[in-house]
Amino acid sequence: MMRTASPAFMQNLRDVVEMTPLLVVLLGLFGGALVLGLLQSFGYAPWFGINEFPTTRYFERLWLSSDFWFSLGLTLYYAFAATLIGLVISVPLSIALSKRFKASRLFSALIRLPLMVPYTVGIALALVMLGNGGLLSRMSAGLGLIDDPSQFVQILKTHGGCGIILVYVWKQVPFMTLNLSAVLARTGDDTVEAAMVLGASSRQIFWRVTLPQIMPGIVSASLICFAFNIGAFEAPLILGGGYPDTLPVLAWRYFQDANYAFQLQGMAVVVSLALVSGLFLAAYLQGYRRFERARGRV
Amino acid sequence: MTQVQLKNLSKVFSGTPAVDAINVDVACGEFLVLLGPSGCGKTTSLRMVCGLEQPTSGSIWFNGQEVTNLPVQKRKVGLVSQRFGLFPHMTVEQNVAFGLSVGGMAESEQKRHVGEMLEIVRLTDFAGRFPAQLSGGQMQRVAIARTLVTRPKVLLLDEPMASLDTLLRAEMRQFIRDLHEEYGMTTLLVTHDQIEAMDLADRIAVMFDGRVAQLAAPDEIYQQPADERTARFMGHSNIFDCTPVSDGYVESLFGPLKLGAGSNRGLKLPRKAMVRYESIRIVESVDQSQSNVVSGTITRAEFLGAMMRYTLQVGEGFLTVEEASSFKRKTGEAVSLTLPPEQIWLLQ
Repeated sequence: MMRTASPAFMQNLRDVVEMTPLLVVLLGLFGGALVLGLLQSFGYAPWFGINEFPTTRYFERLWLSSDFWFSLGLTLYYAFAATLIGLVISVPLSIALSKRFKASRLFSALIRLPLMVPYTVGIALALVMLGNGGLLSRMSAGLGLIDDPSQFVQILKTHGGCGIILVYVWKQVPFMTLNLSAVLARTGDDTVEAAMVLGASSRQIFWRVTLPQIMPGIVSASLICFAFNIGAFEAPLILGGGYPDTLPVLAWRYFQDANYAFQLQGMAVVVSLALVSGLFLAAYLQGYRRFERARGRV
Repeated sequence: MTQVQLKNLSKVFSGTPAVDAINVDVACGEFLVLLGPSGCGKTTSLRMVCGLEQPTSGSIWFNGQEVTNLPVQKRKVGLVSQRFGLFPHMTVEQNVAFGLSVGGMAESEQKRHVGEMLEIVRLTDFAGRFPAQLSGGQMQRVAIARTLVTRPKVLLLDEPMASLDTLLRAEMRQFIRDLHEEYGMTTLLVTHDQIEAMDLADRIAVMFDGRVAQLAAPDEIYQQPADERTARFMGHSNIFDCTPVSDGYVESLFGPLKLGAGSNRGLKLPRKAMVRYESIRIVESVDQSQSNVVSGTITRAEFLGAMMRYTLQVGEGFLTVEEASSFKRKTGEAVSLTLPPEQIWLLQ
């Protein structure tokens, strides 16, 4: 007698079949590229006539150079600073958005606007506005604040990275604000009203009631933005201070080199970047989980 | 203890009046219930007393002092809302201590007060738990403890039992009644549940469309409602047209009915009369001393547990009667009924 498969088995099979297209894309494209990148960074690239696998010389060359550590510091600084500034702006904005006032719809639309504008447009706007021949410098000269536009304080093309951070912040504030607004909408007004009735001031309500409740939104928004910032290269390439560059720009330069052998060095940069970024994000998540556990939420 | 007065209090939202010039006086230590269907303005009224909503016009007074423009933080009221508003990231102990802590009380003092309050609400063993780890009833007790520990002048309860199941509601009603007796605090409770209102209130303000339809003691509102809407809202009743024919008598579709001394008999124009389901009695034998005896046939019988509900055809009309379920009667059975004159109430 033939045995029939159990309904649970059939359901599992159906789930796997339904997931197959997604799994193929994920494993084939993302997973495959990841493995290939790793292999290249360890010296495996027979299609370029290089097969030194396994070698760590690309990593050694990179990690033993002081420029690499400067680039890493620069990359982390831009990513951290932009994420932090973005959060400092987005938290009060999201609280303001959760309240109803006369121009709230216009306010909400204005906040969303940068989401619809491509990154490169933001970079171009920064060049037009903040460059030494830009609008602000010309206005300053026109107003007599400086004698010549070239005397305007250098915002772009410096390792201080004001322009880069500004573009990152401009682009990610709407994203963070919308993310936090969604968390605030889910939380509702009950706890804030309860705190008010219990005599808490606006400052006490913010620090002791609102902020802890929107922490999950802060964590997810900052994770996504940090991960993006650490890997972005257009803004540092165009608005950055030049050599030594951030790690994504460094990798890009290796990949653009006429000598294919440099691709392996580029891969070592990318793998190092992914490693550092992954470590930071994991530590951040671990810290947040501990924070949540202390509050009984996990 | 605090006396609360609402004078011509109104609130308009986008041109629509939510509360329309209500006048309510709550005596010191009184338990007043604002009762009405959804959207009648009872919660808005409570939120105005609390300070969470600013009135469009009118004023609010505590002990003869106007508080209409006083910020919510300075009113010293306590609010327990339907969803409790517990801080999810704080333990029970931290939740209860919140009001004391933001008020700047020393930590040792806070601990003592919180400990005492948790004992009163029987949650000492749950002090270290988070709201998500509590049942609905426990959450409500935390919300009440958090409010009472700050010793508010007025306690405001906004449908605090709405999210609890029937058994827990009865238990919490008893708990709230005990607390009110112990603290003697002026209390305003908002509910749409007439049983809850009658059980807890010293007086009830029945509200419809933003106005107070009747403000009186629970038994008065139940037995002598001001109008048909209040009568229907306060419980099941037979309401039928009648015309006063002579002093103490009305003509109805069930024949002439004698009225009692307290039947609102001064009213002369044709109007409606009300008799509660449970006030009508099915009698086995009729004697001459009984008034308002009518005959009818049972057309429908419903088993309600302790009671049976019968719908009877009486002449051209229908009457509904409730009787203890120990008397089982059948559909189609002919019976005699008496409508006690004292239980007939003419509606305004």
